[in-house]
Amino acid sequence: MSQTNNYYVSRRQQNWSRNQNTTRFQSAVKLGPVAHTVLVALMIIVLGLIYVTQATRTTGYDYEAQKIDSQIAEYNEQKSELEVENARLTALETIKNSAVAKEMTTATSTQYVQE
Amino acid sequence: MKPELLHGSRSRILAGVVLAITAIFVVRLFYLQVIQHDHYVSLAQSEQVKRERLPATRGEVYAMSGDQPVKLVLNETVYTVFVDPAIIIESGHASDVAKVMKDIAGGNVRPRFEDLLVAKDSRYQIIANRVTRAQAEKIKDKDLSGVGFQAVSQRVYPEGQLAAQVLGFVNAEGAGNYGLEGFMNSTLSGTDGRLETVTDVSDIPLTVGGRNIREPAVNGDNLVLTIDRNIQGKVEEVIKAHGQKLGADLVSAVAMDPKTGKILAMANTPSYNPAEYYKVTDGALFNNAVISKTFEPGSTIKTFTMSAAIDTNAARATDTFNNTDSIRIDDYTIGNATKGKTGNISFQTAMEWSLNTGFVTLGMRMGDGKSINATARATIYDYFYNRFHLAQKTGVELGGEVAGRIVPPEQSDGNAVRYSNMTFGQGMDTTLMQVAAGFSSLVNGGDYYKPTVLAGKMVNGVYEETKQAAPEQAGVITQSTSQQLRDMIYKARASSIGNRDKQGYEIGGKTGTAQIPSAGGYSDSETIASYVGYGGAETPEYVIMVSVYGKDKVFQGARDASPIFTELSNWMLDYLKIQPKG
Repeated sequence: MSQTNNYYVSRRQQNWSRNQNTTRFQSAVKLGPVAHTVLVALMIIVLGLIYVTQATRTTGYDYEAQKIDSQIAEYNEQKSELEVENARLTALETIKNSAVAKEMTTATSTQYVQE
Repeated sequence: MKPELLHGSRSRILAGVVLAITAIFVVRLFYLQVIQHDHYVSLAQSEQVKRERLPATRGEVYAMSGDQPVKLVLNETVYTVFVDPAIIIESGHASDVAKVMKDIAGGNVRPRFEDLLVAKDSRYQIIANRVTRAQAEKIKDKDLSGVGFQAVSQRVYPEGQLAAQVLGFVNAEGAGNYGLEGFMNSTLSGTDGRLETVTDVSDIPLTVGGRNIREPAVNGDNLVLTIDRNIQGKVEEVIKAHGQKLGADLVSAVAMDPKTGKILAMANTPSYNPAEYYKVTDGALFNNAVISKTFEPGSTIKTFTMSAAIDTNAARATDTFNNTDSIRIDDYTIGNATKGKTGNISFQTAMEWSLNTGFVTLGMRMGDGKSINATARATIYDYFYNRFHLAQKTGVELGGEVAGRIVPPEQSDGNAVRYSNMTFGQGMDTTLMQVAAGFSSLVNGGDYYKPTVLAGKMVNGVYEETKQAAPEQAGVITQSTSQQLRDMIYKARASSIGNRDKQGYEIGGKTGTAQIPSAGGYSDSETIASYVGYGGAETPEYVIMVSVYGKDKVFQGARDASPIFTELSNWMLDYLKIQPKG
């Protein structure tokens, strides 16, 4: 069985303003020291679990970041290879030995248009 | 009734023991966790924290192709393949590894690498070098235990040997040697970064812990050279062909823009392949003779003497002197190589026939007119050394440059005989680069520009050209002197070999045939032939200098070096799209 009591509290003792509820509920359930200890232990465990979860999640991101880093490195290597290949294909010697260049002839005379 | 442990009871003894053990634990834990805290933290860190160098990427090198930069030196990741012979022996697949390596890595495997697979003296044996990424992937796919890969960055030269001695090379330790790589090593190599982080067992960095450090690497600058790959290619092709035809041991050439000091091409033959620098057996090949080999420049220096004489009002091209084909200086007699042009002749004629007596006379006229006295020597030294910067390092951004030597007149051997010889380019040591740079100031209106190979940088793929530098020394001679000298050497060339030049242009130059100093004098059986000249229409657009040398061979400037200049000059007029006069 519960019971409700009304207490008078002066305005000086509290900051509640006018027209606010001036009564409060007081639970009849009393927690003993053992219950308090268990609750604190539970809270610590919950907080610990939250920390572990977050830490694991962060580590998970680390693995993901590492994977992405590896991919970036791989793509950079591929890019470098393509750049090297491109440079080789456009090198002077390659151009000189190309089929198109072999068909070319040396200009016999050059005419300049006067401006 | 309140329970109490009785004094001396077993329970009380047990409580005492428990308390004592607890106390020991507490003390021990205090010692370990508080007093030894730092020690164990550092132990844990050494176990968990990985310190890694984040290597900076070495800057690439570009050359110009017209007005567009093109890649000349790039980086490529290749792999060193190593094995742990203990694992190979244990798994018994040495023959499989050998077959895979032969099939895939081919020429990259080390000689007798099969023996290394079963070597018992080491657990780390390198069996192949410079394996490409594609090859490495194929080997990895075979899933061979005991085989590992180490990524290595190496320089790649898509243009092959082009400008090898200008570029230099990067050794196995990543340090630049010779040429641009040596001189600009710190700029090209950048600054390595640093990573300090907690890692897991697979060495993957984790963000746990508050002491992680990540300092990113600062990559090296991507440099753009003033070297034009088309001019460079042409110069290399021409000097190689002429060198082979002449049987020369060394042919060198440099082409530059006299109005800016920018070097358009610089080459020597023989040269080497920078990608295979480690195969070079003759270390001299690494030297860029244009800047690192000094020689007595010979008659090309007559243009410098003439300029000094005109500039000091000692003489003009049309002034005359009495040529007797020899001239006596102290105990020495200086003669002309070309005889018979005796009598009262002009200095223009002396230039055309390269008469030594004429230039010794000019030297005298810079003094009292009768001898190479102290005033004459001081004037020659001032022009040659202080103004034309001969026998001084030019400061071109390439490793291995040497200064050469001009003996100051105050020194005992800076006497009249030496300075007489210097008027026609003997008795002094210079490099090809110095003569070309000094000659540029003679024909460009009188401003000395420091020769440079740096045109700018590539930043995020965009070419940023360096602001044109001001002359290092303006007005080394007057514009009038410069114009008079150009007229002289234009006429000198036109009177002899001008018919080989494209018509409508102003091409001028001077030959040089320098004797090689030997014990007690000069050797008659060995010479260095050279030619320095300019070309353009209204103004000089390029200066080219060439030299030809062969051990125990006599080469002549007009016969052997001049044709190289002519071929390059005619090609340059077309390549640079220089419109003829008129």
